[in-house]
Amino acid sequence: MLTPSEIERYDRQIMMGEIGQEGQERLKRSRVFIAGAGGLGSPIASYLTAAGIGMIRMIDHDHVALSNLNRQILHWEEDIGRKKVDSAKEKLTNLNSAAEIETIGETITEDNVSQLVDGCDVIVDAMDNLPTRYILNRCAIEKNMPFFHGAVHGFEGRVMTIIPGETACLRCMYRGPVPQEKFPVIGVAPAVIGSIQATEVIKYLVGIGKLLINRLLFYNGLEVTFNEFTVNKNPDCDHCGSLVKRE
Amino acid sequence: MSVKVHIHATHRQFTNGLEVVAAEGSTVGECLNHLIKQFPGMEKALFAKKGKLLNNVEIFLNHASAYPNELVKPVKDDDEIHLVTMLAGG
Repeated sequence: MLTPSEIERYDRQIMMGEIGQEGQERLKRSRVFIAGAGGLGSPIASYLTAAGIGMIRMIDHDHVALSNLNRQILHWEEDIGRKKVDSAKEKLTNLNSAAEIETIGETITEDNVSQLVDGCDVIVDAMDNLPTRYILNRCAIEKNMPFFHGAVHGFEGRVMTIIPGETACLRCMYRGPVPQEKFPVIGVAPAVIGSIQATEVIKYLVGIGKLLINRLLFYNGLEVTFNEFTVNKNPDCDHCGSLVKRE
Repeated sequence: MSVKVHIHATHRQFTNGLEVVAAEGSTVGECLNHLIKQFPGMEKALFAKKGKLLNNVEIFLNHASAYPNELVKPVKDDDEIHLVTMLAGG
């Protein structure tokens, strides 16, 4: 049940027919795992916290650096040197004191990922590297948890939503490892992509709209274009293909 | 067959800034070979070695993933190929 204060706080979204009081209650009951408290994690966590998600668990092993501040808007000059998750928790709690914000200052590995996401309803990709994204992708499939992918580079970004057992996953087009490199980025790119990811999470949790499933959305900020590509589930995928074989 | 090849922003340095290049061939691979004939710099941008696409290159044919075996996929006149590089940042 929503309290009178919550009904007032979320009035503008409760008045949306797609959400209503029931949808708002669903958001309040939801538990979201956000992997990364950086460029993507900042808008994702901010908008989900503002929207009234009941619990957010954020993980990041890093500390705030000056070079983060062009895009990681949860972190300010005064936070330089602090753990990103501590800085993030402070801002998110100030934004919405009713939100339960759990933070973990660790690195995601194949060994700990299952335990880290335990108890959450969905996994949101706010990582800065592909290997960890694949760890999350596999975990999401194994635990049957929806996975909300996003990535950025420069003025560009991409988004896709993965429903295990039903849709293409992040690994369905995998051809092999890609060298890791320092990537260029300006803050408005993760702002756009993270906001779309947060939109997808809200839609999924409330049960409304058309998700970006089997659809890879590309955003080009320089040209202000969105391109959408169909991605099919790969029966030979080494992450989700085994589900098909078991069926 | 004549197709339109959409060049990713990071590759346009090899196509004199062109965003779309016309290429001919009966498969995706043949069209890419024709693209490379016109703009030799694209070879390193797409292929690790002859016939092996770089792992960070994704190919979409008529707005659908061409994976797997992208290069042998047949094309017809006016088809569109998008060449995209994977993004990893966050």
